[in-house]
Amino acid sequence: MSGNAPAGVGGVIHDIGYQRYTGARLGRGYAARSLWTYSLRTAYGLGRTAKAKILPLGLFTLACIASVVLVMVNTQSPEPVLSYVGLVATFSYAATVFAAIVGPELVSRDLRNKVLALYLSRPIHRSDYALAKLAALATAVFVLFTGPMLIMFVGMAFNTSTGLSGVLDEIGGLLAGLAAAVIHSAVFAALALPLAALTGRRMFGTGLIMAVFLLSAPVSGAVRALDDGALGQLAGLLDPVSLVNGVDRWLFGEGLVQTGPYGAVYGLAALALIAAGTAALLWRYRKVKA
Amino acid sequence: MKTTTVELASVSRWYGNVVAVNDVTLTVGPGVTGLLGPNGAGKTTVLHMIAGLLRPSQGTLTVGAAPSWRNPDVYRRLGLVTEHEGVPGFLTAWEFVHASATLHRLPNPAAATRRALDIVELSDVERRRISTYSKGMRQRTRLAAALVHDPEVLVLDEPFNGMDPRQRLHMMDLLHRMAGDGRTILFSSHILEEVEQLSGTVQVIVAGRLAASGDYRHIRRLMTTRPHVFVIESSDDRRLGTVLMHQPSVSGVELVADTGLQVRANDYGTFTRALAKAARDADIRLTGVLPSDESLEDVFSYLVGQ
Amino acid sequence: MNLTIATLTARALFGRRRVLLLLPMPAVLITLTLIANGSPEPVAEWGPIVFGQLGLGVILPLTALIIGSGVLGLEIEDGTITHLLTKPLPRQEIVLAKLAVAWAVCTWAAAVPIAVAGLLVGSAGLAAGLLLGAAVGALAYSAVFVALSLMSRRPVAVGLVYIILWENLLTGFVDGTRVLSIREYAAAIAEWIGGTGWLPAHLAPVTAIVLAAVIAVGGTMAATARLRSFSLAGETS
Repeated sequence: MSGNAPAGVGGVIHDIGYQRYTGARLGRGYAARSLWTYSLRTAYGLGRTAKAKILPLGLFTLACIASVVLVMVNTQSPEPVLSYVGLVATFSYAATVFAAIVGPELVSRDLRNKVLALYLSRPIHRSDYALAKLAALATAVFVLFTGPMLIMFVGMAFNTSTGLSGVLDEIGGLLAGLAAAVIHSAVFAALALPLAALTGRRMFGTGLIMAVFLLSAPVSGAVRALDDGALGQLAGLLDPVSLVNGVDRWLFGEGLVQTGPYGAVYGLAALALIAAGTAALLWRYRKVKA
Repeated sequence: MKTTTVELASVSRWYGNVVAVNDVTLTVGPGVTGLLGPNGAGKTTVLHMIAGLLRPSQGTLTVGAAPSWRNPDVYRRLGLVTEHEGVPGFLTAWEFVHASATLHRLPNPAAATRRALDIVELSDVERRRISTYSKGMRQRTRLAAALVHDPEVLVLDEPFNGMDPRQRLHMMDLLHRMAGDGRTILFSSHILEEVEQLSGTVQVIVAGRLAASGDYRHIRRLMTTRPHVFVIESSDDRRLGTVLMHQPSVSGVELVADTGLQVRANDYGTFTRALAKAARDADIRLTGVLPSDESLEDVFSYLVGQ
Repeated sequence: MNLTIATLTARALFGRRRVLLLLPMPAVLITLTLIANGSPEPVAEWGPIVFGQLGLGVILPLTALIIGSGVLGLEIEDGTITHLLTKPLPRQEIVLAKLAVAWAVCTWAAAVPIAVAGLLVGSAGLAAGLLLGAAVGALAYSAVFVALSLMSRRPVAVGLVYIILWENLLTGFVDGTRVLSIREYAAAIAEWIGGTGWLPAHLAPVTAIVLAAVIAVGGTMAATARLRSFSLAGETS
């Protein structure tokens, strides 16, 4: 903004070198991607104080250590005790705690301090904000699974006794595990984030998410105990962890949940849950006052 | 009313490598004292230490000869109004102040509440929930809760934030009256006009250190490295200017249209004595002599700039 | 116990819609019990899951966590704690009042519904055992979580890690950790009185009572000590 009013009239705006930026502007996509990256870093406490790192990195470290132990057990025993998909299933409870802690960290403070308007004054839309946060949470949970899986892969690949074909087997297992991890992360994130977005206090968000995850497990367990037939086999649908375990069984043939012939139902239910969670999150952010 | 003195002796407070308050020694006696300083100077830290909410890393701090840290009894004689603090919105002002009175174990909480609410002029809205109040009303509610037990020491952190001029005048009036009863009132501010109007005694804190204490006008006179500026109106400004330039205590003169002769003097005392003599010797009549930089703003900007 | 503080705390808790968060959990429990009771399966099949896993394992600790970390935690978060601190009250009195409210609400919101569920299966002994065990558990949990809210900025997250990782996972693998698990105390007491064999009780009842008392007293003392040295720097959070 430069200009000079004629002298002698009221005031003068001096040219002190400010110029308009006329260069290239990265658009909406870049802004959304940046938000995703930033949220992912926030999830793990990177770029923040040490205290913010304790819980997420602590859980990640514990998972990796457990994975090392599992690798040792796996290599000592004649048949591997746990496959990659099994690893994902084992760590699912830790993943739900992780999602319950990290989810509110991503969205509750923005809600509490009412800063959504600041985001919206940039080229992103409300839906971009919501989806970026959702993607960040899902990615964060995925990373929680991937670390241990990679450790397991390295351990098993070095210990294979059948050379290259053994390594290729391991890669196949790893890919299956990664696919399972994608499904698990997507379902947990799609469930946790809309719940977290309901409140501006992290305390309540975490409590709410954990209540949903923790309550549903015994309920589904009880229904399964009540009925050995179709209802018992469908009982896993009631609880997110059993749900994804059921999908594992359907897709990869291994899972802790007896799905009987209803495997496909589990798959569809997982997809429906992801879609419903995303829709709920988008709806919630449409309603938030900016 | 028994008077209470707040004393700090070499008090410091640090957080890791950051020193928030650096070796402050001051005494706050009865009357109104203003704690002045730019944002981030350490005013809130000092006030919270006085109020027993923060432990001094070093030094001794006493309120009426007893330390305030880990000493809940000090609150019988001290009331605190913090800068940002929530008030539970679901209570009414009456309930909130009455709860404060009860927690202070007053013998007649209802009467004390009545008195406190009358002092802050919230009597007509006291039965409404605090969530319906304006910011100034919430501030006054908190003040009432801090006064309900008739404390000898009142500590206020930026009490005039968010108040409109009428409320501010009223609050100042209230604080003056309370100080007149012999109470010790300490308030912090970074707005000079407030401190100027309310108290002559200031404690200036800059970057954690105590830069000056006392009456700000006296402080001004102690600032000898900075020339004093006077505006003089006389019968012949131009000639007076040349006469004054002969004086060793004068470092500059300037003729300002419509205002008079602006004189920069190095030494207040010498100049004031020399002025009258010089003017009489030159046969010039003085019609006005005004010190023009004795405002708190000038004092403050000098101290901050040190 | 300071009645004014207790009343204010109770009003603060119940004045918000969030307290409704506590209703679904007992509702789910009761509904599930009714459904399961109406089915042909014997109670021994689903009893352990409903009373042990759901009741004592999830509903009790989670309710205690939300309430216990909220009675002081919410005030610390929004800064209203200075109102309590700048009063000539012994800090112990403040902590005891808060703890009393937390315990009372937790007992009503969790222990009583669990006991009611026990009544629904027709066993008064089970119901009495559950009520007492859950009430003792609620006291221990509340003391721990109130202390936690004074020691950490994220008491709910830390408490969750305790509940999930310690009580639900480790105690299944490492027997020694059971000594420090409040859920074990509650189950042991409930089993001692109810004697149904459905609850995972591994400790002797006397041990459980003593340990629960130690933890409750310890938590209270820790909270009092922290409150005495509570520091408010200025610009919070």
